Amino acid sequence: MATTSSESDSSRKNTDNKENESKDEQNNMFECNICLDNAKDAVVSVCGHLFCWPCLHQWLETRSSRQVCPVCKAVISKDKVIPIYGRGNTKQEDPRNKVPPRPAGQRTEPDANTGFPGFNFGDGGFHLSFGIGAFPFGFLTSFNFSDRPHGVPVGGQLQQDDHYLSKLFLWIAVIFIVWLLLA
Amino acid sequence: MAQNVNPRLESSSSDSPKRSKDMNDRIESNKVIQRLQKELMSLMMSCDESVSAFPEGDNLFKWVATIIGPSDTVYENLKYKLSMEFPRGYPYKPPTVIFITPCFHPNVDFESGSICLDILKEKWSAMYDVKAILISLQSLLGEPNNESPLNVKAAQMWPRQEEFKATLLSTYKDSESN
Repeated sequence: MATTSSESDSSRKNTDNKENESKDEQNNMFECNICLDNAKDAVVSVCGHLFCWPCLHQWLETRSSRQVCPVCKAVISKDKVIPIYGRGNTKQEDPRNKVPPRPAGQRTEPDANTGFPGFNFGDGGFHLSFGIGAFPFGFLTSFNFSDRPHGVPVGGQLQQDDHYLSKLFLWIAVIFIVWLLLA
Repeated sequence: MAQNVNPRLESSSSDSPKRSKDMNDRIESNKVIQRLQKELMSLMMSCDESVSAFPEGDNLFKWVATIIGPSDTVYENLKYKLSMEFPRGYPYKPPTVIFITPCFHPNVDFESGSICLDILKEKWSAMYDVKAILISLQSLLGEPNNESPLNVKAAQMWPRQEEFKATLLSTYKDSESN
């Protein structure tokens, strides 16, 4: 009897240990690779490594010429990290931090099917140029480029370029119409 | 909105930039201290006996480390003491690591003890910790980079291992036997 009870004791201890170990592993899983603490304002790089945003931001600042992931040395940048939103940490806790807020999540709304099916190349700013190129008033019908629903504002370079291009094309179109009217 | 700001509050907030800068500095150095404490904990928990490190006195920014030469190399069983100094910008900036025990090695300056190792300079990463550095140094002992030697004599002698070992042992002084 005694032996069986001690065996069950030890087996219980073993499972306890295993539970503890797995708990430790689980805790370690969400540690920031820089401060070695649980990641706060967590972001993940495209190569899959977890950091606190303030930690990663400071790392990127100190290495502004050669921005690489501290773990795997893959090329990363501010635009190439994804914030992680858990349940229940919606509040920004420390406004004293001068660190800029972590980049917003990038989400694209599914394209509402508007405009010419023929001109719809699926790439927001681009089909406009075809519209103008083909016939001058085409842009009036496919003029949905700027009010294409953007969802969350995205700070990417691409989006800025898009915006710039669409403005440029708009002005070209306006000048073209004025010229047509005057001629 | 601005009209409704209490002038007293406004005047008190005018000297806050200075205070917040101090506060930020303190938060920064607290972060460094926290990370160093974590590293110390994990080093003490690990059972690896060939590398060890401990802060020198009360100053958490200066450590003394010990590495033992890897087996199957000329440095087998030789014990080396190193000093590690952590900058305020740690871990974004690497610590300064030098050999206290004189070390005859192609990538170590014998007189000053300074080390030529890429991960302590341009290839530094914020995720490297004390243990990673010490393990890298340990493996550097057995696998020197003879392309960019600090100790040219050692680099030239490296291919002749027996001669190298003789010179190494004649120059080696255990810091504890002194």
